[in-house]
Amino acid sequence: MVPATYFDGRSTRATPVSVWREEAMLRWRTADRLLEWQAPLQAIEPSAGVIGLPYTLRLVDGAHLQIEHDQLPDDWFPRHHRLERLVDWLERRWPAALAGIAVIVVALAGLFEFGVPWAADRIASHIPSSLENAMGTRSLAALEGHLLLPTTLTTRQQAHYQAVFQRFVQNMHDLPEVRLHFYKAPAIGANAFAMPGGTVVFTDELAKALPDDEAFIAVIAHELGHQAHHHMMRQVLRGSGVFIVAGMLMGDVTSLGGITAGVPTFLINAHYTRGFESDADRFAFDALARDGIDPVAFVHAMQALQKAHPGLNEVEKDLRYVSSHPMTVERIAQANKASQAFRAHATGKTTAAR
Amino acid sequence: MHDETMASGVYLPEIGAAAERPVVNSRTLQFHGNAEDYFRIWIVNVALSLVTLGIYSAWATVRTRRYMYANTCLGGSPFDYLARPLPILKGRLLTALIFGIYALGGQFFKPAQFAAALLIAAFMPWMIVKSLMFRARYSSWRGLRFYFTDDYAGAYKWYLGVYFLMGIPLVAMGASSLTGHPIFGALLCVIGMIALYPWIKGNQQQWMVENHHFGGKSFKFNGDMGSYYSIYGLAALVALAWFMPTTGLFGALSPLLKGQINAHTKLPPISFVLAVYACMVPLYLGVWTFVHTRMTNMLYNQSQLGTYRFRSTLAYWPMLGIYLTNGLAVLCTIGLAMPWARIRMARYRAAHLEVIGGGDLSDFVRDAFSHGDIGATATELDSLLGIDIGL
Repeated sequence: MVPATYFDGRSTRATPVSVWREEAMLRWRTADRLLEWQAPLQAIEPSAGVIGLPYTLRLVDGAHLQIEHDQLPDDWFPRHHRLERLVDWLERRWPAALAGIAVIVVALAGLFEFGVPWAADRIASHIPSSLENAMGTRSLAALEGHLLLPTTLTTRQQAHYQAVFQRFVQNMHDLPEVRLHFYKAPAIGANAFAMPGGTVVFTDELAKALPDDEAFIAVIAHELGHQAHHHMMRQVLRGSGVFIVAGMLMGDVTSLGGITAGVPTFLINAHYTRGFESDADRFAFDALARDGIDPVAFVHAMQALQKAHPGLNEVEKDLRYVSSHPMTVERIAQANKASQAFRAHATGKTTAAR
Repeated sequence: MHDETMASGVYLPEIGAAAERPVVNSRTLQFHGNAEDYFRIWIVNVALSLVTLGIYSAWATVRTRRYMYANTCLGGSPFDYLARPLPILKGRLLTALIFGIYALGGQFFKPAQFAAALLIAAFMPWMIVKSLMFRARYSSWRGLRFYFTDDYAGAYKWYLGVYFLMGIPLVAMGASSLTGHPIFGALLCVIGMIALYPWIKGNQQQWMVENHHFGGKSFKFNGDMGSYYSIYGLAALVALAWFMPTTGLFGALSPLLKGQINAHTKLPPISFVLAVYACMVPLYLGVWTFVHTRMTNMLYNQSQLGTYRFRSTLAYWPMLGIYLTNGLAVLCTIGLAMPWARIRMARYRAAHLEVIGGGDLSDFVRDAFSHGDIGATATELDSLLGIDIGL
């Protein structure tokens, strides 16, 4: 006999009863034995077990029996809630909880390190180039006239850079259609960036800061790396993926507010961007080497950039963990390594030729 | 929104009748949950949800929510959460789809996102009704379910229509600026807003309470709109009181920070951003908690079910203390303190809600309202978009 409370489903009257099982029947009666009920076990729907909660045995007519936690005999409903029985078993154990923390950390790391990028890149490869072009046109239109003003470079300077650009692009394969645009951008300063759809934006300030054509090509090669691998589109899709996944997580798993969701989303996106920047750097080193240019040109470009933005180094100390670009020092080190490899290779070839 | 449902929701069952007895009983809600158990339940379910790429999350939601509901007791009987995982899962998948379209739409085609936002705004009252219906429908006590009337017209009136009224002061301001009285116009606008906003909030509460039913009885609301004006009037004073130390603190911090602001970069340093947050969060929380606490008290204290009344005695400082310490604990533990925070809040809320009346709570009967199933999508959607239904 198990103590229970009977609710008839038609009123909120609580009736204390004792319940027992007779074969395939469940029977219960009041302590004074005046009232007695019965129902086949098959027709009863028990609630899943949760630690500390009473069991609710629902009857077909809307009535239910409430049995205190852990007083429900195991053999009454052995076939119900098999999955949740396992979950309940886990929920009662501290080792399982600790393992849960580890699982969450690994799963989140895996999700954001591999899952979201993988899915986003898959989708990106199926997006028609017309859509990418439209995206680039729209973004450029939004910047023109505000941050990007008409260039002040002379026609001759422009023609020269365009010629260098075209010659460099012609020697490259697997490149989507690309074009180079110059703008005066006092608010941005010396900078260059790739837009979706093949446009490379180059500021007058950067063109003036660069020491020579090889440094110019180094910057171009980096931006072409973004274009060749469709980094902008992939970044957009990854960012949206993070937004959706984080939204779902915050929405029902943790119910944290929007502010707290913003911080990790920002960090994860910066992490992806950094990956793309390193990727574009590697692409640039290879492209330069293939074109017979020493990747040290990239170091010169970086140094020119640093000179144009004197505050950069101090800020970097502050932003080490949130910066969207790899640290300048690291990038210069990588470029120097590529330069050494290039020289060793060149020397090797020269020696072999001799 | 959902986690606090049980403690803050409207569906508190009451008993009616038994008016012959002059004895008036007061029953306080009891919350028996504890953070250790809830932590294990929560963490195991979050882990399983992640491992199954979200599929299990519907089961996880039901289990964690049931824990909160069934640990809240009135008159010795627990509340129960009856929603099924599968409808929740379907709703969740649909929500993810809509959310995805919204997020991606903005990247490719801004008007699409704008249209989606407009559409969501137009559907908001509908979603509010649907999610209140869902929550009421799947909340039960002693075997009887709560019920929320599908009053869409009322929802559109109080959650969309009235906001157009707030446009009137704005138009008036524009008109008087055009005629050369901008200060008078601004004054008119502020007065108009002050006159309308508490009235709107009060009517929203009334609408929400009066559409809830339990045990054959409808909730009644003795809406006294005057009290809402005093709440928002006091809130303005609270905001002012918080504003002064905040500006003082910021003033004291800014000379320290000034040296760090780099002239060459447009971005302020991180320490500066953090300092702004550190000053703004207490201000925001201080005002929000005041309004939330007073509005919750008002909601229950003006409600009635049969012969039963409610008394909600949430107090400002304890609530603020709980919110602040909860927020800090959750931040410092990267979320691991979340279960503890929820349990604390539920316990405080339950302990400060009483049901007052003469009966023994056993005289409610199954009502005649239809008990059809209600989809979970609306609830999911508005939980994701973070709309607070105003409780």
